Amino acid sequence: MTAEPYATAAGLVERSAAAYVSGVPEQPADDGFFGPASVTWRMSGDLGGPIAGLRSLLMQALHPLAMAGVDQHSGWREDPVGRLAATSGYVTTVSFGERAAAERAAARVRRIHTRVNGVDPITGRRYDATDPALLLWVHAALVESALAVRQAFGTALSDTDADRYVAEMVVAAELVGVPVAIVPASVAELDRYMESVRPELRRTPAASESMAYLLDPPGLDEEVAEIWQDIRYGAVVSLPDWAREMYGYQAPPLTPGRREEIRQVLGVLDAVFLGEPGVLEARQRIGARVRAARTA
Amino acid sequence: MNRRAGLAAGVAAGGLGVAAVVVLRRRGILGGNLRLSRGLAALQLVARGGARYASNAPRLFAAAGEHRQQLRNDLALETAEDVATTLGAMKGVLMKLGQMASYIDDGLSPSVRRTLSRLQDSVPPMSPELAAQVVAEELGGPPEQVFARWDPEPIAAASIGQVHRAITHDGRAVAVKVQYPGIAETIAADLGNVALLRRMLRITAPSQDVDALLAELRERILEELDYRREAENQRLFADYYRGHPTICVPGIVDELSTRRVVTSELADGARFAEMAGWSQSERDLAAETIYRFVFRSLYELHAFNGDPHPGNYLFHGGGRVTFLDFGLVRRFTAAELEPLMQMARYLCVEHDPEEFRRNLVKAGFLRADAPLSTEQVIEHMAVFYDTVRESRPLTMTGDYSSAVVRRFFDVRSPVTTYAQIPRSYVILQRINLGLFGLLGELTATANWRAIAEEIWPFVLGPPTTPIGEAEVPWRQTRAPTPRPAPGG
Repeated sequence: MTAEPYATAAGLVERSAAAYVSGVPEQPADDGFFGPASVTWRMSGDLGGPIAGLRSLLMQALHPLAMAGVDQHSGWREDPVGRLAATSGYVTTVSFGERAAAERAAARVRRIHTRVNGVDPITGRRYDATDPALLLWVHAALVESALAVRQAFGTALSDTDADRYVAEMVVAAELVGVPVAIVPASVAELDRYMESVRPELRRTPAASESMAYLLDPPGLDEEVAEIWQDIRYGAVVSLPDWAREMYGYQAPPLTPGRREEIRQVLGVLDAVFLGEPGVLEARQRIGARVRAARTA
Repeated sequence: MNRRAGLAAGVAAGGLGVAAVVVLRRRGILGGNLRLSRGLAALQLVARGGARYASNAPRLFAAAGEHRQQLRNDLALETAEDVATTLGAMKGVLMKLGQMASYIDDGLSPSVRRTLSRLQDSVPPMSPELAAQVVAEELGGPPEQVFARWDPEPIAAASIGQVHRAITHDGRAVAVKVQYPGIAETIAADLGNVALLRRMLRITAPSQDVDALLAELRERILEELDYRREAENQRLFADYYRGHPTICVPGIVDELSTRRVVTSELADGARFAEMAGWSQSERDLAAETIYRFVFRSLYELHAFNGDPHPGNYLFHGGGRVTFLDFGLVRRFTAAELEPLMQMARYLCVEHDPEEFRRNLVKAGFLRADAPLSTEQVIEHMAVFYDTVRESRPLTMTGDYSSAVVRRFFDVRSPVTTYAQIPRSYVILQRINLGLFGLLGELTATANWRAIAEEIWPFVLGPPTTPIGEAEVPWRQTRAPTPRPAPGG
């Protein structure tokens, strides 16, 4: 069954690139919520972004209420690429934008969330996108995915830096309306939190359907479809075993050769991303500030 | 927007490297003969951009001096680890692939070209300390000791290194190209895992012997990482043209050249863009020198510099030209050159179409069993010889070079079905794509046939121009070229 109600994945790279470029300010008034000395900024050069993004969506979708909110309210079937680009643009703005820009973007998200509520047809439970518990799940899945993918395919962060990263990210949760007190601020807290949520997680039909689209988006060129297999594999293989089992996905073990192959794919994708207008300059803006902070 | 649906981003992501490989393969730089057949159309589709050729030579990789403004010293690489991060994960390999492909033809699509060019721009220079460290490792001491003077600011980016100015202890001004530390190892590691490239090639070129292709690709790229090879090539040209009135090739400073450092005499002069604004007579003289350089090198030195793009010349007026960058030089054996010479001889001098065809077949350009009349063959091939068929002044134009290139890629011609590009001659397409394009841009006029006769070993005609006259003393210091056996 083809994903008839969904639009094709055309333009993902171009639109993601445009969203990224607009999220990195040219003459910032301040260093934003993280700044050039942060682990967050230093991690920005990592190639694992596409896999981390896909993996965090796979994780987030396992929460029936979070999934129901997306399923029933987001127009993502009509414009999945636009939705993905908007999300990555949001993450970029919060990470690298000035404080005012990050706050504006967050306020917009919070405003949209006030309209997202209803009943999940599977569990019969009410959901509300302003619910801190749901927002925290979405946040934690993103942070945990960034670490897991970096661990699997990049250069793993030191324990100290990993803790710092989780702690830095607390403010991102706060921006969308999660009380600071309940946001994990270390890797250990994050792990405990992920564990605590597990009983609530399950694969709903909506999750299966949306993720099937993401794992095999229609309309890809043959070469890209080939490459997408690696992105998909990377996201699936780096999932916790329990999450993979919930979906019923199979993933052959990650051999060193396979890992290298995926790193190469990420490098090629990154090169393509660099070819989009303004991406190199945006990277250089970040890089120069990181460098200046390092030598200061 | 004419972009296809999909994640295409202009070029299919994985297709990026593969497009480059396919171009190399198509041009026969990799692997054995590749028939120029209907299948070519499919391959051209892969490496989109097919047969649109401007008279400009490709400018994918700027030559020495041109990247000056883009050197981001504030982002300088400080350690070999920085190098690995920047150029690992296939990026260094993609850059080399793209560079090799761009040497051969313009068949890369604009989006692939743009991506590769941005990739090149994305590599910052080395910090002065890191460059100094490489010099110390290679030459046995810090640059300030190895050289009398050393400029720690690079003046240009090279594809996998950068160029510094220095003065040697014996007072020579030199250009020192320093390779990024660890780049050879990083690229070798990526080439050690060819699973991705293999899969991509299976898609784009399913009928090819992918493993042989990959093995060769690996060998070629690794070879290019060794600057000693480039130094050896440049030395060959520099030695041969020493004393030439208009051709200058900067000499290599042997004792300061190693695997990762190559030191040559520093040259300065007008860039191509500046020279293009000179008077037509100056442009004609410069064009004549470039023409002489290409064909003298081919017929006498049995070597061809495959990179005739405009950034690789410096112009000094009066027809004097300095030739730079010998990173891609193809050496020929006498046996390889023989049929080429005979082809020119029988078509242009002896006017013997059957012998021309026989040599075409012998060289491997045409299948022996091609069911074509010799007139058809001549009609198809003659355009490549248009500039030298008659002894008269002729003006090179962009139209001519475009016509030559179009003919080369003309898949509709019945002849093309039976034509192939033997691997050893493929690089010579740079004459069509690069040299004629360059001369066309200069709208250069000369009696090219008369100049060719001076150079053709089967004619060895007397000097016909002032530059030809000025060459006489230099020629007398060179060993005479052995004449080919008659009949080929």
